[in-house]
Amino acid sequence: MNARFLWSTVRKDLTRMRRDPLGLATSLGIPLVLVTLVTLVFGGQQAVPQGRLLVADEDQTILSQVLSSAFNREPLSKMVVTETTAKADGLRRMDSGDASALLIIPRGFQTAFLQNQAARLELVKNPAQSILPNIIEETLSIAVDGGFYLQREAAVPLRTLAGRQQPSDQTIAQVSVAFNQFGRSLAKYLNPSLIDLEMNVTGEQSQNQGVAAIFLPAMIFMGLLFVSNSHALDIWKEQSWGTLRRLATAPVSLATLLGGRLISLAVILFGVALAGVAGMRWFAQVPVASVPLATLWLVLSGMGFYLLLVTITVYAPNQRSANVIENLVIFPLALLGGSFFPFEMMPDWMASIGRFTPNGWAVTQFKALVAGSAHAKDLAIGAVYFAVAGSALFLITVNRMRRKLI
Amino acid sequence: MKRLMIEVEQLRKSYGELTAVDGVSFTARSGEIFGLLGPNGAGKTTTIGCISGLLTPSSGRVKVMGHDVVREGSAARAKLGVVPQEIALYDDLSARENLAYWGGAQGMRNPKLKERIQQVLELSGLQDRAKEPVKQFSGGMKRRLNFACGILHFPSVLLLDEPTVGVDPQSRVRLLELVRAEARAGTCVLYTTHYMEEAEALCDRLAIVDHGKVIAAGTLAELRSMLGERDLLRLTGSFPPFASRTALEKIDSIEILQADESLLLLSLAAASQKLPAVFAALAGAGAEVRGTTFTQPSLESLFIKLTGKELRE
Repeated sequence: MNARFLWSTVRKDLTRMRRDPLGLATSLGIPLVLVTLVTLVFGGQQAVPQGRLLVADEDQTILSQVLSSAFNREPLSKMVVTETTAKADGLRRMDSGDASALLIIPRGFQTAFLQNQAARLELVKNPAQSILPNIIEETLSIAVDGGFYLQREAAVPLRTLAGRQQPSDQTIAQVSVAFNQFGRSLAKYLNPSLIDLEMNVTGEQSQNQGVAAIFLPAMIFMGLLFVSNSHALDIWKEQSWGTLRRLATAPVSLATLLGGRLISLAVILFGVALAGVAGMRWFAQVPVASVPLATLWLVLSGMGFYLLLVTITVYAPNQRSANVIENLVIFPLALLGGSFFPFEMMPDWMASIGRFTPNGWAVTQFKALVAGSAHAKDLAIGAVYFAVAGSALFLITVNRMRRKLI
Repeated sequence: MKRLMIEVEQLRKSYGELTAVDGVSFTARSGEIFGLLGPNGAGKTTTIGCISGLLTPSSGRVKVMGHDVVREGSAARAKLGVVPQEIALYDDLSARENLAYWGGAQGMRNPKLKERIQQVLELSGLQDRAKEPVKQFSGGMKRRLNFACGILHFPSVLLLDEPTVGVDPQSRVRLLELVRAEARAGTCVLYTTHYMEEAEALCDRLAIVDHGKVIAAGTLAELRSMLGERDLLRLTGSFPPFASRTALEKIDSIEILQADESLLLLSLAAASQKLPAVFAALAGAGAEVRGTTFTQPSLESLFIKLTGKELRE
């Protein structure tokens, strides 16, 4: 390869791209618009809706506090902010639509519960809201059901506790044994360790990733695909302009031209990748384990997509067919390969297939790089794959250009 | 003796059943403008493609300054400047940027490249528009820039494939002058065209091609002598084909080149004297003459004589 001409080609292509900012803006604009719309639909960076629950605790007992604190635990606390208030004030605020719901715990609630008597809770819902009041109602309903079964199954020890002002050590020990047996009897229906595991995982993701954070990698990869595709199709412009033919009469190789185009694309991809990673890090507040590595991975991925797409495009019979074929390739790739809908939103079977597409695999590795959980072995395999497949595609493209495009 | 720059020997190029170039042979020397004249589809561009290395000949041999274009392609291409028929430029780059790129492709380096770019911009009359994107240029300006890109690197052999197609008269005159200047500087120019006037005005030697074959070759004088002192008479009107032909064949030393219902092309000596006899014969055959054109011996009349058809067909 002629290094001087390679540099000349890089400069030429960068100048051409600079003169056509609309082309680049379109390639990047489509994913940006899509992800912005999706983010807005899902409520912006906040992954879940948030409402206000007013609690009028007229009982002021341990049980009433346990009940109201149920809403202060994650993941419910992400959705519901609990605020204690007086009943009259709560009703007034509900009338003005200031909260999602008002829970009134009446005086004597704990005593009635411990005495196995009917206890009544009052929930006032905001009719202007649909999701949050229902979530609160459902949560409360579960708590009431739990209380009912506790009352039924542990009535004796509860009454034992309720009947004495100061229970003796022996009474407490008996009650503890009774509760332990009660717990064991429920063990076959519940598996606390599994539930805890699931809750913890869900809690971590919710904490770190809003909708924007989930969609950003997909958006970045869609952008890479579109930019690479646009650059790949540009080879047909060169063909129609006759510049490929003219170059073939000069004492330089078409490989130098393709190499120059690849390098100029890498420069553009670097800008796109850096902006994307910076957006993740500082806009979406996603911790990025290594900004340089994540950026480099995006650039290499984009170069890989380019080589794949340019190989496909030079095998098209003409420019129009190339456009159609590229669309037929790029949209399924984007949709299936986590570059439109994130894998998190796909059915498991679809995500499993999508991860085997070139972009799906690259997205998965990128997320691992961002999270700091990428394995050196996987990355090394990726680098080898890129080098071997990329070189093969490069040579195939040059050969095809020489035979059919000049 | 001027140096032999292009040697084409029994060149043949086929695409399956179709033979685009069929046994073409010619040579061209330094400082010479050699023309390939022929109608569209005659095989001129294919011949240029084989010489420039764009196409691989099916058989035969092509040498540029002694380098075989197939076996020593890179060395041969280094001597060539090619101005393709289509305008092969980057529309979104300026004239100067295009020249810099194509100069780079030919191995030129700054500061010589910059100096030469300025020279060719002035030669082609584009120095005032050097920074404008090519897409803002007129067709003639693009043609001149297309030409400038071909001569930028001082090629020893310049291949020009119909460089004046679609060009305004002013740009055409300028382009032809540039071609002459290149030849005067010692460049061997191979010029293809289907414009006879251009070929007559420009070329030192010519090969007339049709259906992929050279049907006549030589200097302009040599080619004209093939016609003798015969004029070309072109008659338009309404001619019963058989009766007209029979009537005309009775006139001495008349040669019917083409005869159909609306056109007659005749080659004849001392045409002005024989004109009354021609009109009388045609009138007797029931023909009606509406237009008459006399042409002195020319490449066109030679082409018609050799192929039986007009070059523009």
